[in-house]
Amino acid sequence: MTTSRRDFLARSVQLGALLGVGVPLLQACGGDSSSGGQKTQTIADGLKPEKGPLRIFNYDSYVNPDVIADFEAQYGVKVEITTFTTDTEAVTKLASKAIQADVYHSMASTTIDRLIAGGVIQPLNKTYLTNFPNVLESLQDPWYDKGSAYSVPYVYFGTGIGYRADRIDPAQVEKDGWNTLWNATDFKGQVSVLDDEREALIMAMMRKGLFDVNTTDQKVIDQALADLTELIDLVNVKVNIDGYKNIPEGTTTIAHTWSADLINAYAGYLPEGTDASVLGFWHPPAGEYLVSNDSMGVVGGCEHPVLAHLYLNFMLDNAVAEKNFSYVGYLPALTALDADYVIGKGYVPENLRACVPTKEDITKALFEKPLGVEGDAKYEAAWSKFTSGA
Amino acid sequence: MTATLSAPPTVAAKPRPKSRFWAMFAMPGVGWLVAFFVVSVYAVMAVAFGTVDPVLRTAVPAWNPLQWDFTAMRAVLDRIFGGDLGTVFIRTVGFVAASLAGCILIGYPVAYFVARKASKHRGLLLILLVLPFWISYLMRMLAWTNLLQVDGMVNDILRFLHLQSEPRNWLDGSASTVIWGLVYGYVPFFILPLYSTLERIDGRLIEAGRDLGASAAQTFFRVTLPLSVPGLMAASVITILPMFGDYYTNTYLTSGSPKTEMIGNQIENYLLGTSQPQTGAALVLVLMAFLFVLMAYYLVVTIRQQRMAER
Amino acid sequence: MNPFRRKHGSARGLAMITWVYVLWSLLPVLVAVRISFNSGKSRSSFQAPSFRWYWGDPVSSVWHDDSLHTAMLNTLQLAALCMLIATPLGVAMAIGLHRWRGKVSNAANGLMLVPIVTPEIVFGVALFLVFTQMYTGVPSGMSRQLIGHITFTLSFVVVIVRGRLQAIGAQYEEAARDLGATRLQAIRLVLLPLLAPAIFASVMVVFATSVDDFVISSFLTTGASTDTVPVKIYSAARGSSTPAVNALATVMLVFTLLAVALAGLAMKRMNKKSGDAAAGAAGGLAGLSG
Repeated sequence: MTTSRRDFLARSVQLGALLGVGVPLLQACGGDSSSGGQKTQTIADGLKPEKGPLRIFNYDSYVNPDVIADFEAQYGVKVEITTFTTDTEAVTKLASKAIQADVYHSMASTTIDRLIAGGVIQPLNKTYLTNFPNVLESLQDPWYDKGSAYSVPYVYFGTGIGYRADRIDPAQVEKDGWNTLWNATDFKGQVSVLDDEREALIMAMMRKGLFDVNTTDQKVIDQALADLTELIDLVNVKVNIDGYKNIPEGTTTIAHTWSADLINAYAGYLPEGTDASVLGFWHPPAGEYLVSNDSMGVVGGCEHPVLAHLYLNFMLDNAVAEKNFSYVGYLPALTALDADYVIGKGYVPENLRACVPTKEDITKALFEKPLGVEGDAKYEAAWSKFTSGA
Repeated sequence: MTATLSAPPTVAAKPRPKSRFWAMFAMPGVGWLVAFFVVSVYAVMAVAFGTVDPVLRTAVPAWNPLQWDFTAMRAVLDRIFGGDLGTVFIRTVGFVAASLAGCILIGYPVAYFVARKASKHRGLLLILLVLPFWISYLMRMLAWTNLLQVDGMVNDILRFLHLQSEPRNWLDGSASTVIWGLVYGYVPFFILPLYSTLERIDGRLIEAGRDLGASAAQTFFRVTLPLSVPGLMAASVITILPMFGDYYTNTYLTSGSPKTEMIGNQIENYLLGTSQPQTGAALVLVLMAFLFVLMAYYLVVTIRQQRMAER
Repeated sequence: MNPFRRKHGSARGLAMITWVYVLWSLLPVLVAVRISFNSGKSRSSFQAPSFRWYWGDPVSSVWHDDSLHTAMLNTLQLAALCMLIATPLGVAMAIGLHRWRGKVSNAANGLMLVPIVTPEIVFGVALFLVFTQMYTGVPSGMSRQLIGHITFTLSFVVVIVRGRLQAIGAQYEEAARDLGATRLQAIRLVLLPLLAPAIFASVMVVFATSVDDFVISSFLTTGASTDTVPVKIYSAARGSSTPAVNALATVMLVFTLLAVALAGLAMKRMNKKSGDAAAGAAGGLAGLSG
């Protein structure tokens, strides 16, 4: 339905442009050219899975290939993974149908309301998701998707400071908090902030004691921009999401980073002869701690919706999730995989216990919420200024 | 070829060349470029002057020029003339100019040597010169990030040569690293066209210069260099144009330092990382216009030179 | 360091610069290849050598990871098709534009030059927008990428071949005509053989450009089944992936070098005068100056 209307629009545009009569035609169609309000159907109960291939849309290296191989073996299908590098790119490509996928593997919570409204993802049929009760209780009815009607949580993580405990005293980081980045004048060129406009600007706000992380107050954003810009000259700051490898390899000493990056650093990026004790992670106390999670969904109007549901369910299995965690380092949002369990199993060293958010951290957590076009534009404008180094 | 020439004569009189015959040859290619290049560029304009879907934030292009909305373009121009984007533009031009200078300093002697002096190893050298083309550019840049680390090979070599006492963090976001990276990445594109120009210079002209009593240096500056100017210009053009659109070299070599951001980074960010594709498209148009002016200048200069030469 | 002081001294100085340059240009290639033999996951430090990322690793190695084979096959297939379409299209266009006079021809000449002065990112953005907003009928990523690569490389072919056409001049063809060949015969039997080095250079340039392109390919990919090797490398560089991409690049390097060597030998046999492959390519690129 959707497709044919779009095709019609596109063809008439083509024709119109060629013949120079496109104007009235376009005006006639212009009224409903917005994609809002499209709803997609839920699949029926008890359907047989399709033959595949199951097409997954995900960040690179954000799922364990062994787990994918297990799924292929269990259901006798092929799995194809297409990668993207930013949320916006992902949404753009899915919405414009530039990508044909069945599973959108890692949706940011701030985009889910738009994905639902735009019909990019379809409502889930819970009868296929028998493992859903494994999900952390606090994320079974999340703020971004009431009742988890369209999404199931994939992994969760907090935002803090990853650092080299052999170069800077953990007690000092604990004392300075976010100021650690501004005080790092001894580590010029070895300091980074996350390549994410909201994360970085919010961090600068929190340093000043402002915890309304969803503000669209231009003054607050401008001040945060000014504070971030100081870092360019003070510490020669870098902007990237490479803490997971730059901290263990030592090219970065202090990084505004995600908790999972340190687990990843421990699991795969410590050079031979470097001990795990060089890694440190600090995060603000519960109530001031920004926690995020990515979610999985089924793409609206996709070719293999049943298989996609089975995949979501597969990923919510405790054993599968554990195997996946051992590779991606991002903690699955499942009750069974708590701090004691993952430390006991050796996935996380004791000195990185802070990388696993506690129950209190999650219940009191701050969340980034959607800001609307104008709100996002303010952050984007500030970010563009910051990264331009002007 | 003898077989060709002994083909039986079929037409006695030589007909005048008909333009339509030759147009037929050109048409498929021209049609292709119109369908996929001209129309695509028009799509960029439609997006730059269009709007954005309020829900999904995807571009809603304005195909009809009467409905064009210049808000995004005006904002972009404001930011270029006296705003933050101006800084990025100037920085980009600076990086490209410095890299071009580097390409000339390194590329000219190499091309000159291979074309005119390396009689013994010329074949081998030519193969070595094109070899870097056959392994991915991105892969080679990634390898540099390894070589330039504090404990990397570059610091080891510099210390070994006593050029530097303390290891330096090359990847700390300094402009010089990016410029070296750009020179490294693009100098092969510079050397090859220059090589073929130098190789085609008639050796007798150079000998004549020497016979008339000029020193080697004088001969070079009075004969060889002027004769190689067209090649130098062409090499410069095909080197700097892609540099202006580069956004990965600096990202790799400084892990994203705001001090080294180029215009390509802003384009990429606006199109893939924000809800303002029209701003990204407007930036693309500005970049195209800028390069157009540059190219127009190049064409005027070369045409003038050609006319002078013909006279 | 004045390289012009004495005859022999200058040549020696230049030789040194050249060999140092060659070392410098190849060092990172060696490093990339060396890292493909790492035994650990790190892509930025040297580790004990192994074939883990070639075939040792049961999941992520080049041999076992389907997505890597697919990428390699896609890249080679795309480059081959691009070569087969862009070269004849470009050669015909060059011959046509070289002779065709008139206003339309002038416009076409100008149009042909524009893609050359257009950076890849502009192509990527423009083609992405046109395929998602207008030519929605072109379904698969592969055909979109192919169209993109052809559009990007077509003008290179035209410029290279035109350079050679100018150098050849009209006399051979006229002689053929005087001896009674038709226009098409003259082109097929006289002009095309004379153009062989330029055509060979075009093929090389088109192939190299297509194989190395990632901006256009990544904007136009529609799924994992249409990812190419550079797209894999780019996403790998930004994500946390393994030396398997280095292994992939190394395998590609070996493949393309073999192909180039074979093509070079074939070319040499066909036309002994044209010299080696590199000289042909260089001569072709020089067409840009003309």
